[in-house]
Amino acid sequence: MKRLTSIAEFRQWQQNLKALSVRRQKVITVCGGTGCAAFGSAALREAFRQELRRRGMEAQVPVKVTGCHGFCEKGPVVVILPDKVFYPSVQVEDVPEIVGRTLVKGEVIERLLYVDPATKQRIVHDDAVPFYAKQQRLVFRLNGILDPTSLEDYVAHDGYSAAVKVLAEMKPEAVISEIQEAGLRGRGGAGFPTGTKWDLCRLARGEEKYIICNADEGDPGAFMDRSLLEGTPHAIIEGMLIAAYAIGARHGFIYVRAEYPLAVQNTRIALEQACACGLLGPDILGSGFAFDIEIRMGAGAFVCGEESALIASLEGYRGMPRPRPPFPVQKGYRGQPTVINNVETLANVPLIILKGADWYRAIGTEGSKGTKIFALAGKVNNTGLVEVPMGATLRQIVFDIGGGIPRNRRFKAAQMGGPSGGCVPAQFLDLPIDYDSVKEIGAIMGSGGLIIMDETTCMVDMARYFMEFVQAESCGKCVPCRVGTRHMLDILTRICAGDGREGDIETLEQLARDVKASSLCGLGQTAPNPVLTTLHYFREEYEEHIKRKYCRAAACEALARAPCAHACPAGVNVPQYLALIAEGHPEAAVDIIRRRNPFVSVCGRVCDHPCERRCRRAELDEPLAIRALKRFAADHADKGLPLMAPPAGGKAEVAIVGSGPAGLSCAYFLALMGRPSVVFEGAPVPGGMLALGIPEYRLPKSILRQDIDFILRHGVALHTNSPVRDLDELRRQGYRAIFLATGAQKGRPLGIEGEDLDGVIDSLAFLRARALGHAVRPGAKVVVVGGGNAAVDAARSALRLGAQNVTILYRRTREEMPAYAEEIEEALKEGVALHELAAPQRICGRGGRVTGIKAVRMRLGTADGTGRRRPEPILGSEFALPCDTVLVAIGQIPTGVPATGLTLRKDGTVSVDLTTMATSVPGIFAGGDVVSGGGTVIEGIADGQRAACAIDRYLGGRGCLPPDVTYSLRRPSEEEIERLLPRALEPMLPIAERLGSFREVVGSLSEDCARTEAGRCLRCDLEKLL
Amino acid sequence: MNAGRDAGSPRLELALKIVAEMSPVKEGDIIPLLQRLQDAYGYLPREVVLEVAARTGLPASRLFGVATFYGQFYLAPHGKHTIRCCRGTACHVRGGRKVIRAVSELLGIRDGETSEDLKFSFETVACLGACALSPVMVVDNRCYGKMTPQRARQILTGLMERS
Repeated sequence: MKRLTSIAEFRQWQQNLKALSVRRQKVITVCGGTGCAAFGSAALREAFRQELRRRGMEAQVPVKVTGCHGFCEKGPVVVILPDKVFYPSVQVEDVPEIVGRTLVKGEVIERLLYVDPATKQRIVHDDAVPFYAKQQRLVFRLNGILDPTSLEDYVAHDGYSAAVKVLAEMKPEAVISEIQEAGLRGRGGAGFPTGTKWDLCRLARGEEKYIICNADEGDPGAFMDRSLLEGTPHAIIEGMLIAAYAIGARHGFIYVRAEYPLAVQNTRIALEQACACGLLGPDILGSGFAFDIEIRMGAGAFVCGEESALIASLEGYRGMPRPRPPFPVQKGYRGQPTVINNVETLANVPLIILKGADWYRAIGTEGSKGTKIFALAGKVNNTGLVEVPMGATLRQIVFDIGGGIPRNRRFKAAQMGGPSGGCVPAQFLDLPIDYDSVKEIGAIMGSGGLIIMDETTCMVDMARYFMEFVQAESCGKCVPCRVGTRHMLDILTRICAGDGREGDIETLEQLARDVKASSLCGLGQTAPNPVLTTLHYFREEYEEHIKRKYCRAAACEALARAPCAHACPAGVNVPQYLALIAEGHPEAAVDIIRRRNPFVSVCGRVCDHPCERRCRRAELDEPLAIRALKRFAADHADKGLPLMAPPAGGKAEVAIVGSGPAGLSCAYFLALMGRPSVVFEGAPVPGGMLALGIPEYRLPKSILRQDIDFILRHGVALHTNSPVRDLDELRRQGYRAIFLATGAQKGRPLGIEGEDLDGVIDSLAFLRARALGHAVRPGAKVVVVGGGNAAVDAARSALRLGAQNVTILYRRTREEMPAYAEEIEEALKEGVALHELAAPQRICGRGGRVTGIKAVRMRLGTADGTGRRRPEPILGSEFALPCDTVLVAIGQIPTGVPATGLTLRKDGTVSVDLTTMATSVPGIFAGGDVVSGGGTVIEGIADGQRAACAIDRYLGGRGCLPPDVTYSLRRPSEEEIERLLPRALEPMLPIAERLGSFREVVGSLSEDCARTEAGRCLRCDLEKLL
Repeated sequence: MNAGRDAGSPRLELALKIVAEMSPVKEGDIIPLLQRLQDAYGYLPREVVLEVAARTGLPASRLFGVATFYGQFYLAPHGKHTIRCCRGTACHVRGGRKVIRAVSELLGIRDGETSEDLKFSFETVACLGACALSPVMVVDNRCYGKMTPQRARQILTGLMERS
């Protein structure tokens, strides 16, 4: 390396290098970042070199190992320049073909190309890959292009041009002004204006001034600083050079984590090169400016990322922060004025100097200029490093660039800012992200680590996790942090272990406030943030953990050993019954199920299986077909199964109003506890929505009858055609406790003009009439308004009853329809049309009869309070939909709840304590749709079960559910786990055979199929036992 | 260098050599000094730290104070192979806990411990920065990504057989 002694010499050298690299030369670039290195990129590099040697092409085609490309999910990444052919996930075996075809013949290898999951298209060039295309890569742009160990490469790409410009043409004050104008804010987390920091240091009095690059990137989940140092170390050196010149420093440090060996290595090489070349040293390029940089490694303390602790560490002390003021810019390293800047901040500096503050200001938002590099990790498809302008939204980052959540799960929250930050829930998906907007919602931008969480992440566990981290890293100097975080951690650990107590939340909040207010440094001051934000946005999860020992994400192991059983509202012991099916004992399986749910045949057909959504087998291949297996067991169990308990005898002290799933389950469990009851049903047949809502092609009457009879045989008296208008009357008749389960059997009206025309029917009334055997004839052209199960049930029923043309009108998209995905799929196969993103404005008629609907197209707007995108009408897009029948299915409301004195909610549902199902009137309990306004069957059953326990206790009993008596310890072998199998599918009636009647569409699995499917269960419940 | 890895009195010559090379050793050099000593001995033997304190004039309490504060320094003999499992957020969210448990069970030691035969040391670390590959395990200097309890067992069983 020739030592350059003047700016002119440098410029000449740079020109020569640029000329050399303009030649269109083929280059093989292999990503050498730590991530791809772990995937084996070193072996790839060797393989390429060998292959080139074999063909005698070694001299013409360089194999360049670059820094991190950012698309870590798809490593190892290979890009062939100059065409930029992009090959992700390359294996050593692919190398000969790549050289032979792409390099020599210029052919693209189809099978190695990246496939865009959204469009299923293969993409050739890296800038067309959506992951890259949607970013704005300014700071990170050189990372995939340069060889980090080549100074020449950097200089040829305008490296050090900014530093030279500064030395040649700008005074220090002008440099500071430019940075201030540009609005650069610290990228380490706090966002302090960089120009101002430099200015304060410049003005401060001191014999020596120092510039320190903080590369102690300790936030778990943040790795952008590592990648920048690994991939473009000279950019940081250049940034420091400019900063040093501006503030008047002659010495600088790069303080980098010891856990980043590649970054340390490449930075060392870069420093040696810069020194040898004359870009660092006593007289840089003959300008008279002297500056040198020393590299120092951290020694494994997160707190040393905090500026005053970092300085203490450099001075050879324990990394304990110091009180401020005075701030480092006044008294820092060795008591001298010191600027500490983050790696990414420094990497922005050369760009700003070269392109100017105006250019920089054009990017970003009002208060936050430029771009930010985010480290996307966690439950997201495209993990890696993403650079976007300030003001980009989470939706853009997570979905457009990140490719969304794996397995189509729902976005729950993003952790921003690591352990100092906060969680950002779904309602803020459309918030433009910048320093100030993030602060307003309680989080901080932080270093840029973005951990994405889905519905299987427990927010209480996340808070505990971060508190555990912070507790371990607390330096111990100040009491609020050392003791306060310890107390908070103890409480959180107890809660996650199932030992949460009344008052824990309030104590956490108080401790959080105190620790925040009185800790000595940023670590303590921000440690409570994860707890505070999760409490703010996910308080119910804490309450569920404490009051009901329930973890809705099924993540806390102490509370939810088997996620399927935990997810089941009724707590059915799923892994047990699956194992029994696998062993060939369907009756034993049915017995297990009946200990928590009497409706085995019914649920085997109509349950929405929350268990399957949590099945851990999904991590290997696909979730178990649990509902289908339950159906198999019910169909194949010996029909003469004994009762679960002798029929309860004696005088019935409990009255149950309503014989739907909630009411009958309550009666059943009370009978198992020895308490007979009387069920009053207003309709001519029992079953509630099971009989009057769900059509027979889904649930045949005979099957429903089976389950109901089973329940009644346990000592439950049933009176149909017996509506109850007055609960007090029941009390006068001697019933000591009452369970109200009258459901929500009326449809919510549309509230638009024309609703009173002939032909506009409430879908629930329509389904009910059909179920009761009344003659029902929909018109020829039917439009169903709504997207839930009632809408789809009504649509498929209408087809079977002779309608020629059935269309569902839904104001959101198909993915957002609450109806079961399988139901929607079958409806479409049967010929139902679906108009997504359309809402009715008015119903038109002639002569008092419906002739059509005026609808308007909708578009999805920004997220509402729950994170769902609000549908908005597109003005001017009205269209007409001719029809003669309109079935309305937009929601259910409870009708005529008997008894005054019960506290009701605004929508008419009954307010209850969710643990005991007790209403505001002692002795009266309620559950099912009358409380929820329209839940699922299994939720109704669970309500009935909970109420039965509460009623038994109310009447002096113990309220205990029957324990399991049969066990299976069958576990899958290693081979069975390794053998990836698709999910078993139930046979279905061909479409042609379906439409003339209400014959059951879905059939049962065969025995072989069922036993194999059940054998796929991983027995998560046995994990700790064996 | 593996001098002093087995039980027995460590040779002090190495330490004195390092002190001489870094002379005059100032306060600000304490961490780099300890890092070099640990590189040479595999850990920080008590006798070495005391001798270095005597030679440099830096108080032993200061040296031990720094050595016990930072996670990188080991004051007890360390295993021949170091297995690190990441317990960072991204790894945690993708099931890192199970991997940690499996490794701990297989090796028979807990976080921060070294096996009796001094072959393995196991520790969990807060973030290795390879989050895209979560869960991550590092064996000596080799990084393994997308770990499952099974894969971890496979890799470590192989290592145990070769040791």
